Amino acid sequence: MSKPVLSILLCLLFCSGLHSQNLSDLIISEAMPGCPGSITDDYGNNSDWIEIFNTSQGTVNFAGCFLTDDLSNLRKSQITKDDRSTKIGPRQVVLLYAAGNSALGTYYLNFTLPVGGTVYLVSNDGRTIIDSLKIPATLPEGMSISKFAHDNKELLFDDIHPSSPSPRSLNGRHEQKTKSQIMKETDPHGWILTLIAVSVVFSALLILFLIYNLSGNIFTGKYKRRPGHHKADDETAAAIAMALELASGDDAVPAAIAMALHLYSDDGAHDIEPGFITIQDKPSAWRNKNLMFRKTTRKI
Amino acid sequence: MEQVFDSLVQFWQFTGFANCTWQHLAMIAIGAVFITLGIVKEWEPMLLVPIGFGIIIGNIPMFPGLNIGVYEDGSVLNTLYQGVRQGWYPPLIFLGIGAMTDFSALISQPRLMLIGAAAQMGIFGAYLLALAFGFSPSEAGAIGIIGGADGPTAIFLSSKLAPDLMGAIAVCAYSYMALVPVIQKPIMLLLTTKKERLIEMPRPREVSQKEKIIFPIVGFLCTAFIVPSGLPLLGMLFFGNLLKESGVTRRLANTAGGPLIDVVTTLIGLTVGASTQADKFLTGNSLKIFALGLVSFIIATTCGVLFVKIWNLFLRPERKINPLIGNAGVSAVPDSARVSEVVGREVNPNNHLLMHAMAPNVAGVIGSAVAAGILLGFLG
Repeated sequence: MSKPVLSILLCLLFCSGLHSQNLSDLIISEAMPGCPGSITDDYGNNSDWIEIFNTSQGTVNFAGCFLTDDLSNLRKSQITKDDRSTKIGPRQVVLLYAAGNSALGTYYLNFTLPVGGTVYLVSNDGRTIIDSLKIPATLPEGMSISKFAHDNKELLFDDIHPSSPSPRSLNGRHEQKTKSQIMKETDPHGWILTLIAVSVVFSALLILFLIYNLSGNIFTGKYKRRPGHHKADDETAAAIAMALELASGDDAVPAAIAMALHLYSDDGAHDIEPGFITIQDKPSAWRNKNLMFRKTTRKI
Repeated sequence: MEQVFDSLVQFWQFTGFANCTWQHLAMIAIGAVFITLGIVKEWEPMLLVPIGFGIIIGNIPMFPGLNIGVYEDGSVLNTLYQGVRQGWYPPLIFLGIGAMTDFSALISQPRLMLIGAAAQMGIFGAYLLALAFGFSPSEAGAIGIIGGADGPTAIFLSSKLAPDLMGAIAVCAYSYMALVPVIQKPIMLLLTTKKERLIEMPRPREVSQKEKIIFPIVGFLCTAFIVPSGLPLLGMLFFGNLLKESGVTRRLANTAGGPLIDVVTTLIGLTVGASTQADKFLTGNSLKIFALGLVSFIIATTCGVLFVKIWNLFLRPERKINPLIGNAGVSAVPDSARVSEVVGREVNPNNHLLMHAMAPNVAGVIGSAVAAGILLGFLG
């Protein structure tokens, strides 16, 4: 394998390793300092919590990833690699408790939320910061800081502001109408969809028809170009005929020669005509040079 | 003694006899009819026999909770049913269809492709009617696809758009596919004159290997770019055909078009049949679906034949198309093409329409996959 190809393959492997299992699709979607009345962890405490959201359409395993509130210590709290429940489904969330003690369980961190600071999600390589979320010092009690996606299809979390806490659910517009419901409102009788769909089906097959018609014409030789030198050959034939006529003074001989030359140049004398047996020069295994000769050894 | 009696009573309660209702018996009878039609009449036996037996399997009365039913998580039947539920089987069947189908007829006469588009009107006719019958748009889309006369596509789309109706839709699609000769022939005779049926079409040209290799690649790129939502079906169909035509992957093509499609067809037939349990199948909706399915087949056949008749008005006499191949625009391969051949030979025994009818027939496969992609894109 050539060096450039090997280099490209190695680069691809290296790049894919950087964001193994699409860890880059994870974001910190919401965080909230604990307060009386907020959600409780498995031990009944009102712990701080952080919500991680998988924006991709595939499952992402975030085992081995780190969370930290300190840029100088990116490996502060690691998600255990031994727990099989660390897979986040497509467009699903997982809740982590910033209880200050990671020994409490898989979903517990060894720090609490730094009000006025920033929480970082770090890849399992311990170096690459995947996402971060700043906790405002002015965050009202009982409110969380959330990232919102205005378009739940594109999921661009470009709006960050305090909101009512919504742990374990997608932030933003929660009730989205299905396509079927939208269609029922916009096209209750189905005529619009029918017209569009029929047009698309016809267009698709029409395009295929045009392409195959074109390719068929090419393959059957309909668009075969005449060689460019024919015009010159015709002119040459006419010139020879004129010269012969001048030399001999007879019309019949030069006309016959000109016709023969014209047919030869136009290949008209060599057509395959129906009803006539045409012997064609077809290659066969008997004449195949590759089979008749021994392969030469390759020089090294 | 009392304990023995109690045990016997308990055993009795577990038997099918104790749990049997008239609905179970009705469904078992339907399964028996399917098997009979498959074996005695030889109507699509590869489909009707597995489906028929599947219906019987799915309707054996039993005590719930034994973890053996098709709808009980983790049971064997449930595991096999996931291929239908999640839509794995239909693309695999399309792979096999691609590996078995010779598209030469279509490549040599690409103009006949448009008949395949016209026959898809059955899908949209049924969609409009289903909406009028009160079905939701996604349910109507799933019902409409029956008009494509393509079982795998019907299963694929209904598993995405209306999983609750999938059993009825699949059984309906396969039943009417088996009845293609019965449904299409009278419509073809009704809509054509004897003079039209006598039209002889020129013999299609021979297609080179290069063209056959280029066909699946270009065909896939064109259709997938237009309707990406049809990717699983279109991709597998054209991939299977490339395996066949490339000339260097014969073993793969033989496997895809042989053992693989046989296994998947067996499983899809059996599990679709088993999914038609009495309580889910014997409903008013199922009756409506069967009625709409029949109408969609009639619309598809009518549109295909009429399209050719109208088209003929603009064609030179030597280029005219026999309208008997219009029915083949539905993608019941090769049954509908066979109907064209049979009806054509009844009028003129020397007029062989099969090779011509195969062109719209395989175009119908592509057309119905494209239509399914559009419906999935709009309603999924």
